[in-house]
Amino acid sequence: MTKGKEAVLPQNQGTFAARLKKLGSQIWKHRAVYTLLLPGLVWYFIFAYMPMGGLSLAFKSYKANLGIWASPWVGFENYRYVFRDPAFWGSIQRTLIINLGRLVFQFPAPVLIALMLNEVRVGRYKKVLQSLYTFPHFLSWVIVASIMTNLLSYDGIVNGLLGQMGSSVNFLGNAKIFQPMLYITEIWKSSGYSAIIYLAAISGIDVDQYEAAEIDGASRMQRIFRITLPNILPTITIMFILMTGNLMSTGFDQIFNLSNAAVKEVSETLDMYIYRITFQSSSDFSFSTAVSLFRSLINMILLVLADRGSRLMGGNGLFG
Amino acid sequence: MTATKPNAQNTKRKKVSNQRFELLDAILITILTLWGLAIFLPFVNVVSVSLTSYKEYLETPLLLFPKQIDFGSYQELFKDGRIWIGYKTTLTMLLVSVPLSIFLTSSTAYALSRRGYPGRKFFFMVILFTMLFHGGIVPLYLVVKSLNLTNTIWSVVLTTCMNTFYMILMYNYFGSLPESLMESARLDGAGEWTILFRIVLPLSMPIIATILLFYSVDRWNEWFQSMIFIRKSSIQPLQLILRSIVIDSQVLDTQAAQVSIEETPFTNGIKMAAVMATMIPIMCVFPFLQKHFAKGVMVGAIKS
Repeated sequence: MTKGKEAVLPQNQGTFAARLKKLGSQIWKHRAVYTLLLPGLVWYFIFAYMPMGGLSLAFKSYKANLGIWASPWVGFENYRYVFRDPAFWGSIQRTLIINLGRLVFQFPAPVLIALMLNEVRVGRYKKVLQSLYTFPHFLSWVIVASIMTNLLSYDGIVNGLLGQMGSSVNFLGNAKIFQPMLYITEIWKSSGYSAIIYLAAISGIDVDQYEAAEIDGASRMQRIFRITLPNILPTITIMFILMTGNLMSTGFDQIFNLSNAAVKEVSETLDMYIYRITFQSSSDFSFSTAVSLFRSLINMILLVLADRGSRLMGGNGLFG
Repeated sequence: MTATKPNAQNTKRKKVSNQRFELLDAILITILTLWGLAIFLPFVNVVSVSLTSYKEYLETPLLLFPKQIDFGSYQELFKDGRIWIGYKTTLTMLLVSVPLSIFLTSSTAYALSRRGYPGRKFFFMVILFTMLFHGGIVPLYLVVKSLNLTNTIWSVVLTTCMNTFYMILMYNYFGSLPESLMESARLDGAGEWTILFRIVLPLSMPIIATILLFYSVDRWNEWFQSMIFIRKSSIQPLQLILRSIVIDSQVLDTQAAQVSIEETPFTNGIKMAAVMATMIPIMCVFPFLQKHFAKGVMVGAIKS
C-alpha cells in the first residue's frame, strides 16, 4: 500500500504553489455551489457558532458593559457555585426521574396503538382513528395545556363527572399527580403520531410469514405476538435508544405550560431550572451559562452514545 | 415510511386473513374507539364551552353539547384587542420567515448535495455538529441582544429560520434525484444555476411543499423564542397571547370566582374561544399535513 502511494505522490503533489493554483481553479469551477452555500454558512456562524463561542462565559465573570468576549476569565469558579447549589442537583434528579417515567409509561403507548390499529379491518374506520390520533401532535403545548386546564379545572368536565360521584380532585395544583399528568398528556398529544413509525415497520413485514402461520393454524393473537411484534422489535429498540439520548431534556414546552406555582417542587427540571435562573430571578449570565454548558455536554455525550447504539442495531442513526 | 399509502402487501394480507368478525375485533374496536373519544371529547368540550352562555355553563357540569349557541365569548374575545395583535404578529412572522426558511434550507441542502468540490465534507461536519451540540438559550439571547434584535420580530425570524433536520430531509431528497439528468444537462452546456432552476427545483416541489408546511406549522406554534426575545406587548405572537389569556390568568380566576359569579365576565368561555381562534388554522391545514407527515416522523421522534 504505502509503496504504491509513494510512487504516485511526486506526480500528484507538485509544488505548493501549483497545488494552491489547482485548488483555486477547483473553487472557481464550483463558484455557484459556494455562492449557494454561503447564506446557510453565515446563518450557522451567527446563530449556532457564535452562541457556542458564547459558552466561554461559563468560565468568565459576565460584565454587561464588557459583553461576552471582553469579560474577564475566572476559570472553574462558576462551577464551584453550580455544584454547590442544591436546586441544581434537585433539578437533575427530577429530570432523570421524569425521563425514567417517560420510558416506562409513555414509550410503550405508540407501540400498542400501532399493534391494535394494524388489526382493525375496516379500512375507513382505521383511517379516521389514525387521523384523530395524530391531530394533537400538531398543536403547540400552549394549546394542549389550555385544553387540559379546561378539562381538569375545578369547574371542568372531569370534575363535573367526579362531582356526580361525590368528590372532586384538584388535578392542576397537585404535586403528587403532576408526573402522571405529564405522561398522560404526552401520550394524549403524541403517541398517535409516534405510532406511524411502527405502522410503517409493520407494513414492511413479509406477507409470506403470515400466510405460513395461517396454514399452520396460528391464531390471531399468536400472529401478533409471534410475527408482528418480533418483526418490529428492531424499530422499537432503535426508538428506545434514541429516546434515552434525550435523558437530560424533559420537554420544556410541556412542563412549562402545565406547571404552576403549586407544583413548583416537582416541576423544576434542568430546563426549567436554567430558565428560572436566567430569566426570572436576578440573573447571573455566567452562572446560567455554566449550567447550560454542563447540560449541552451531557446531551452531546448521550446523543453520540444513542447514535452508536442505534447504528449497532442496524438503524440509520441520528442523522438519517 | 409511507404508512398512509395502502400498498400491495396490505391488500394481499387482507385476502389472506379470514374476514370473520371475532371477539378480538370487538375488543380492539372498543379500546380504540374509547381512546378516540378520549382525544375527541376534550375538543368537543372546548367548542361547547366557547359557544355557551355563562348561565348554562354553571348549570350543566357535564357540558358536551350546549342547548343554546351563544357567541358572546367570541364577541368578548375579539373586542379585546390582544387577539388581533397576536394574529398580526404571527402572520407577519410567518410571511417573512417561511420564504426565508425555504430559501436558506433549499440552497444549503442543494449545495451540500453537490459533489466533488473542495471543503464539502468540512462544511457538512460543521453543520451536522450543531445538531449534537449547541450553545443553549443563554448565549443565544446574548448574541441576539448584541445584534440589537431583541423586541423585534427579526429576533424570532432569524433565530428560527433554519432547521437542520428539515435541511437534512431536503438534502436526502436532492441526493435521490437521478444524477444522469444533471449530467446530461451539463453536457448540453447548462450551468449550475440553470440546472438548479430548470431541473432540480421543478422536480423538488413535493419536498418543498412538505418543508413549507412543516415550517409554517412550526412558526404558527412558536412561542418560546418570542417569550425570550420579545418583551413588548405590541408584538406578541398568537401563542403567547393565548398563554396570557388562558394559563397566566389561572390564579386570578380562582380569586374572582370566590368573590362573585354574577358580575364577572365568562372567562372560561373567552379562554376557549381563544383556543379555538388559535387552533382552527391548524385544523384547516391538517388534511394537507397528513399527506406529508410520514416523512417527518423520524424528525419528530428525534426532535422531541
